[in-house]
Amino acid sequence: MSETTQPPAVEAIEKPAPTLAQATDIPQLSGSELKKKNKAEKAARRAKEIAEKQGVVLAPVYLPVATPALAQKTNQSKPEQQKKPGASSTDSRSLTIRAAQKLHIPTIPDIPREEDKTVEFFRHLNRPKKTGIQDAGKEVHQAVLGVGLQIANYTICGSCARLVATLQAFKEVIASYKTPPGNTLTRHLTSHVLSPNIEYLASCRPLSISMGNAIRWLKLEISKVDIDVPDTESKKRLCSMIDEYIYSRVIAANEIIANAAAEKINDGDVILTYAKSSVIQAALVIAHKAGKKFRVIVIDSRPLKEGMNLASSLQAIGIRVRYCLLNGLVHSISDATKVFLGAHAMMSNGRLFSRVGTAIVAMEANQAAKPVLVLCETVKFTERVALDSIVLNEVAPPDELVLAGGALERWRQVKALQLLNLMYDVTPAEYVDIVITEYGSVPPTSVPTLYRTMNETE
Amino acid sequence: MPHALVTGPAANVGIFLKSLRSNPIETSIESLIALFKRRQIKSSRPCAIATAHLLLQVIAKMKWSNVGRLLERVQEVGQRLMEAQPREMVVGNIVRRVLGMIRDEAKEDRTEETGANSSATNSQVGSPTTQHRDLPSREHAAIQMALSSLRNGTATSDLSGEEESDDVFTNAKSVPSRPPMVGSSTSYAVLTGTNSQKSQMFNLLTPAEGSPAATPPVGNMSPKGKSDLNIKSLSMMMNSTTNNIKSEVITGVEEIIDELEQVDDQIASYALDHIHSNEVILTHTSSRSVQKFLLRAASKRKFTVILVESYPNNHSATHAIVAGSKPRDNESEHLSHEVFMKPLSATGITVILIPDSAVFAIMSRVNKVILATHAVIANGGLVAAAGARVIARAASVHKVPVTVVSGVFKLSPDYPFEFESLIEYGEPNKIVPYDQGELVEGLEIDNPVYDYVPPDLVDLYITNL
Repeated sequence: MSETTQPPAVEAIEKPAPTLAQATDIPQLSGSELKKKNKAEKAARRAKEIAEKQGVVLAPVYLPVATPALAQKTNQSKPEQQKKPGASSTDSRSLTIRAAQKLHIPTIPDIPREEDKTVEFFRHLNRPKKTGIQDAGKEVHQAVLGVGLQIANYTICGSCARLVATLQAFKEVIASYKTPPGNTLTRHLTSHVLSPNIEYLASCRPLSISMGNAIRWLKLEISKVDIDVPDTESKKRLCSMIDEYIYSRVIAANEIIANAAAEKINDGDVILTYAKSSVIQAALVIAHKAGKKFRVIVIDSRPLKEGMNLASSLQAIGIRVRYCLLNGLVHSISDATKVFLGAHAMMSNGRLFSRVGTAIVAMEANQAAKPVLVLCETVKFTERVALDSIVLNEVAPPDELVLAGGALERWRQVKALQLLNLMYDVTPAEYVDIVITEYGSVPPTSVPTLYRTMNETE
Repeated sequence: MPHALVTGPAANVGIFLKSLRSNPIETSIESLIALFKRRQIKSSRPCAIATAHLLLQVIAKMKWSNVGRLLERVQEVGQRLMEAQPREMVVGNIVRRVLGMIRDEAKEDRTEETGANSSATNSQVGSPTTQHRDLPSREHAAIQMALSSLRNGTATSDLSGEEESDDVFTNAKSVPSRPPMVGSSTSYAVLTGTNSQKSQMFNLLTPAEGSPAATPPVGNMSPKGKSDLNIKSLSMMMNSTTNNIKSEVITGVEEIIDELEQVDDQIASYALDHIHSNEVILTHTSSRSVQKFLLRAASKRKFTVILVESYPNNHSATHAIVAGSKPRDNESEHLSHEVFMKPLSATGITVILIPDSAVFAIMSRVNKVILATHAVIANGGLVAAAGARVIARAASVHKVPVTVVSGVFKLSPDYPFEFESLIEYGEPNKIVPYDQGELVEGLEIDNPVYDYVPPDLVDLYITNL
């Protein structure tokens, strides 16, 4: 059925529409001679038409830009075009557009030739990379610029350190702020001055959870500023509030936690820790100064190798330190008596969000039945929840994984090869035995309660 | 003589195998022991191949009259190799397989022709007893082996026609020259350390020696002097049972060597049964077995491979394998004469390289973990590259199946009392470079090369059987 209907349709497609004569030719297909004749005629006509068409295509395309000589040539060869300049121009316009489209089609695949080297699981976490000063808007304060660069190259790396540096920079921003006429500080400062600065910092490296908490607090405080109070006074008040916030939430909290953790260290203990946390370092130093005899095992990982810093500073004050990378974890965990872990954030479902690799250490410690203590200021608590390390995370530039002189130097040229440089992972709550905060030691399940009561009091 | 072959730092399996043809056998043994000790040949497959080739030469170049002597010799050489690097358990596995194969051949043979042998040996009882007079039995055996090895060394150096010189050792006049030779051979720590175990092994052998078929007539060499001219001509020329065994034993060892060459391809043939489309496979290190396994699956299916880099002991080879460049150092498992494999990503599947720390974070998206292994011990546990245990544990926490690909030659009957004894520690330089002198001095640095993975973390073994 379909076969019988197809041939005419195909013919109809093959034949150009405007040739009416051809349509009349089709029924007269009885005589073979006639057929041949018709065919020859048709072919001749078509050839003519095509030649004309091409001439039409070629001529008008070049006409607008063409040299006068070329224009003359075409005019001479096809005088009919001069008769209908309007028609030819419309033709040429439509044709040029078509030609232009044809020209564009091959160029499109050329553009995304560069392969997407980001890992599919983490594509939602990608951010446009711009850390240079030249990319920053003019609203960005110079103090913030400096902090941003330091954060971007991991000079300031820890969650608390970044928080303090940011707040100090914002203090300078506020101090140098002048309310434009016709505006109030409450309305203008947050949206026009603070926001671009925050955006710049976030472009250097995604904001830490503690920074998010602090910025939210700062915005709230600014919105609470009384309109009738003179600017100088409210600016002074804001700066002192920031100082107080840094002191109470970070410095004092650090001290309390370090002391509490140091109390947990006994003579003969072997403390295992992962990467570097300033609170843990403080706790170990306090315990050492109190005359406790204990050893420390520092587990570390590529590429940041933060633990090296901790190990060398502990060794410098006379603590016996064993240093190994994650490949030595299994062998070291049996020697340890307690595991101290730092935190980037504590999730509301009791999970610990910390430097990538922490979950491995906690898992092995749990397996070896060693107590896991997390040292975490409440400023790092968040109401957000996370079940895995993929939804919420930070992907660092993959080139940080490349070793100088190694085979990976040309990894971008290798097709379908991707490098993944994660910053954090999520440790299940059951691996954490206790969370030491400045409000006391709580089990991980009590994190949301503590977070709520803390925010209610504020 | 043993240290005549100077082994440079670049010496590896390929060079060793080449030198094996030309060097006297005792030199080859010593050079392989040195290579093992210096870790210039390491990881399972190269060790197994080197051991098998060496044993093949030992068997081929040795002139022996009966199976008992051959077993002793292979045991002695094997023992020395195993002592050289006890953590390369494949060496022991290969030696055991060769011994088992010889015993099987001997058993078949003995059941066929017991009568013929017993009559032959009765006439030559004299010579062993003269030696027993001189020395206590244990040392006697050691000397015999040292002698036989030395004898083989000289015999092969002048292959053409001086087989008669062998008999010098069995003659009375050569007896006084024995003590210095004992001294030289026992000066190797290897030999002195193995005495107690040797005695055990000889006890195992005593029934064989006591049986009429296997009483070792040491002076029995002269009638078969031409036997080590050529292996092939030997099997054709000789119609006595011993030489039948010899040719069978040699083909047996050659079969083992063939198996070692093919093992990865045999394992890879099961790949399509275990990997289906759109899976996410996590693997570890630059293992050839795993790479071939994945390559085979990649020829038919599209999936994603997450490769853990195994820093700091295997990362350069791992990086090279993903980047498709040839590894420069001899750290990798690749033998020099092997054709380099194309990288996995060249077949169009996505390869994601992650540092060891991200294993737990990414495990929730992984469908299967495929691990390579260094050795499998008697309880089913693994000795695998450091980091494997963490991966296996993280997988079991996430209920991800763990599959181990391993050639049968890696299955070891060893079952240590203390698993820590299996673990080898690498140089601390890889963790804290030596140029940071103060840190290196003050810190205790651990760099284990292997992990013990308990059997309960492994779901499936894929072998070449």
